[in-house]
Amino acid sequence: MEIVRLTETQELTSEDQKFCEATKAWFKIDFVPKMSRVLLTVPEFGRSYGRASRRAMSDGALSRGQKELIAATVSAINVCEY
Amino acid sequence: MAGVTHALNSVADGLRMAPEFVPAAARPPLVPLPDAFEPEVKTVLDEIAAFYAMERPPAVFRWMSRDRIFLAGYWGATRAAFSDGALDRPLKEILALAASMTGKSDYGVDLHLREARRLGLTEQGLTEVVEVVQLFNTVTKIADTLRLEPDFNPRANGDGAERAPQA
Repeated sequence: MEIVRLTETQELTSEDQKFCEATKAWFKIDFVPKMSRVLLTVPEFGRSYGRASRRAMSDGALSRGQKELIAATVSAINVCEY
Repeated sequence: MAGVTHALNSVADGLRMAPEFVPAAARPPLVPLPDAFEPEVKTVLDEIAAFYAMERPPAVFRWMSRDRIFLAGYWGATRAAFSDGALDRPLKEILALAASMTGKSDYGVDLHLREARRLGLTEQGLTEVVEVVQLFNTVTKIADTLRLEPDFNPRANGDGAERAPQA
């Protein structure tokens, strides 16, 4: 159970709601991940972090799929269920 | 703060960046490593050295040679884990590098960075690996600190994003 109340998407500014729509498109899902809502609790942090994430997770020398495997490995070593 | 600090430390320690304010300490092994081997053990060690394209097998395997049966079994498992399969060996070395950085293993980072590079990881590729390691050391720490419940059902089979039941 989360120890903080998660910001609802409709509580975010219109700019950040657009950011959330882009996140849904990126992951091909119809909801906003909790982490996105947490990060945007401090908008200057969340927007900047989102831009860094999009940059790092796009296809490059490594494919996005390979990068997701790296992310899964980091999550496994950190025993992070989320 | 906690997430970013944790991630920055993972990158700095994982890449063995010299401390900013105190000299880096040398790290002599805590135990002596064997340097003479029975023929049966030497055969296994030679195969290991060849696998890693090294003149001598990595120290961790030389240590294991104290018990030849354990060495043979563990090496067989390691070889199977790192050989080409659904994922190829270069990618597995990249994943091992990410695991070593996240686990803050100086030894593992050293070995797997060398292997990943030897098997084709470019400097641009390395930049991308470290960026992903840093990003996910950030968000995993944040998620754990806030005890976020998963967004996705881990048993979904990948043919669509199946949302986890929400409390």
